[in-house]
Amino acid sequence: MQGAAIKRPGLISTICILGFIWIVFSFPGVFAPSLKKLGDWYPALFGILVATSFISYIGLWHMKRWGVQLFVISFFVKETLLVLIDDVSFVGVVFSVFFIISMLPFYKRMDVNL
Amino acid sequence: MVFWSLLKESVIFALQALIGNKLRSILSLLGITIGIFAVIMVFTIVDSLEQNLRKSVQSLGNDVVFIQKWPWTFGPDYPWWKYINRPLPAYKELNYVLENCEGAQSASFMVSANTTVKYRSSSIENVSMICASYQYDKVKSFEIEEGRYFTEIESTSGRPVGIIGDVLAKALFPNQSPIGQEIKVRGSKVMVIGVFKKEGESILGGSVDTQVLVPVNYARSLIDINDENLDPQILVRAKPGVNNDELISELTGLMRSERRLRPLEEEDFALNQTSLISNQFDSLFDVVGIAGWIIGGFSILVGGFGIANIMFVSVKERTNIIGIQKSLGAKNYFILMQFLFESVFLSLIGGFIGLFIVYLLTLAAGDSMGMEISLSRSNIILGFTISILIGVVSGFVPAYGASQMDPVEAIRSS
Repeated sequence: MQGAAIKRPGLISTICILGFIWIVFSFPGVFAPSLKKLGDWYPALFGILVATSFISYIGLWHMKRWGVQLFVISFFVKETLLVLIDDVSFVGVVFSVFFIISMLPFYKRMDVNL
Repeated sequence: MVFWSLLKESVIFALQALIGNKLRSILSLLGITIGIFAVIMVFTIVDSLEQNLRKSVQSLGNDVVFIQKWPWTFGPDYPWWKYINRPLPAYKELNYVLENCEGAQSASFMVSANTTVKYRSSSIENVSMICASYQYDKVKSFEIEEGRYFTEIESTSGRPVGIIGDVLAKALFPNQSPIGQEIKVRGSKVMVIGVFKKEGESILGGSVDTQVLVPVNYARSLIDINDENLDPQILVRAKPGVNNDELISELTGLMRSERRLRPLEEEDFALNQTSLISNQFDSLFDVVGIAGWIIGGFSILVGGFGIANIMFVSVKERTNIIGIQKSLGAKNYFILMQFLFESVFLSLIGGFIGLFIVYLLTLAAGDSMGMEISLSRSNIILGFTISILIGVVSGFVPAYGASQMDPVEAIRSS
């Protein structure tokens, strides 16, 4: 494996593990009846966001910069969507912001390649 | 341009891999097929039942208030002992409402009883006989296919005329028009003056197809219209622009004054509206939807693990091919896309089969149950979304692992 060169800090590992658990539990949320009631395309949008978050955690696990970039982009898109449907979760925002702040000190050490 | 040609090549490679291992592909997509089938089938049934129920509730009238003895709220703490001694709505109260209620567009008194309807040697049992006052056609939604509704004189003078449902008309008069014919209701002759337009099955029951409607003033000679078992009630429809809450507020005042209730005395009547029924069913459908969502969700998740497993095997099997591709200059994203497309195709095919089975079952169920069950657009979108999502999520890790391989080590692997 090419990506094994950079050692992953414990904090990033913890974030990734928490993220993977979150993905497993938020996956069934894609077909939550409440989301379906908002419109035909909302489950699809939410699904794309879940998939993007998952991929960003994989990138982060392998200490790739694109992982952080994808995480930040998916965070902003998700929050914009939640603002539009008036369903912003304060706890979710706090956790995501905490994750982003925790990733930033390690950003320069991360690999720029895919 | 190079990107698109590489993308096209990735798709071709992925398809070749799937076709090359047919049995393995079929077995691995089976998990997704079952998962998608479970989720979408539950959602389709719930959506269809909800749609049918709303249609039935709407036929009762969204802007109609029912003055009755018993309220439509149910539950474990239903205080029936408070309601049992209440007086029944009376015909004279209808006149009071009609004269004094400013928010009412129309109102009708009605009772219903089961009866046997006869025509010559044919007879039909358990027909619902609706006995209603003149404005019934203005508070209840129905259409008359043939003939006409009662005139005001026929209604007030209690003439023996009736309107029958489509099912009754076809059963009693198979080869002739029922209009002008005389049927026997409770041993008394009633002239058919109209036939209701076919309504179809109603989830709440009470479809006009199996009803016979007669003027309440005529029904007095056949039944006791003040019998509690016949559920006497007054139906009041709101004027356009008057909402149900305003109408209920006005009716509460009028009924209290008509029944001479003191200011602190509790009401001895119930003002029901259709939203009470739909609200209770809403919570039931929410529970069923959530149950289906949890069961189906986790079965899809298990299907996803199956695909992830098969993708790991696929990567392992093709490690030296990956090495050759990389040593010939294949980019990491090309290898990534190749495996990602394979897993997405797998789960998309699985999802498509699952949706197709649901579609076939809806056709079969619709024919046999006589109820409209349809696979909605939102459920089709949901099915494909979940398939693509599970393909990406379960295929990304093996695909990414393949893309990160060292070409030399990959070629060496046996």
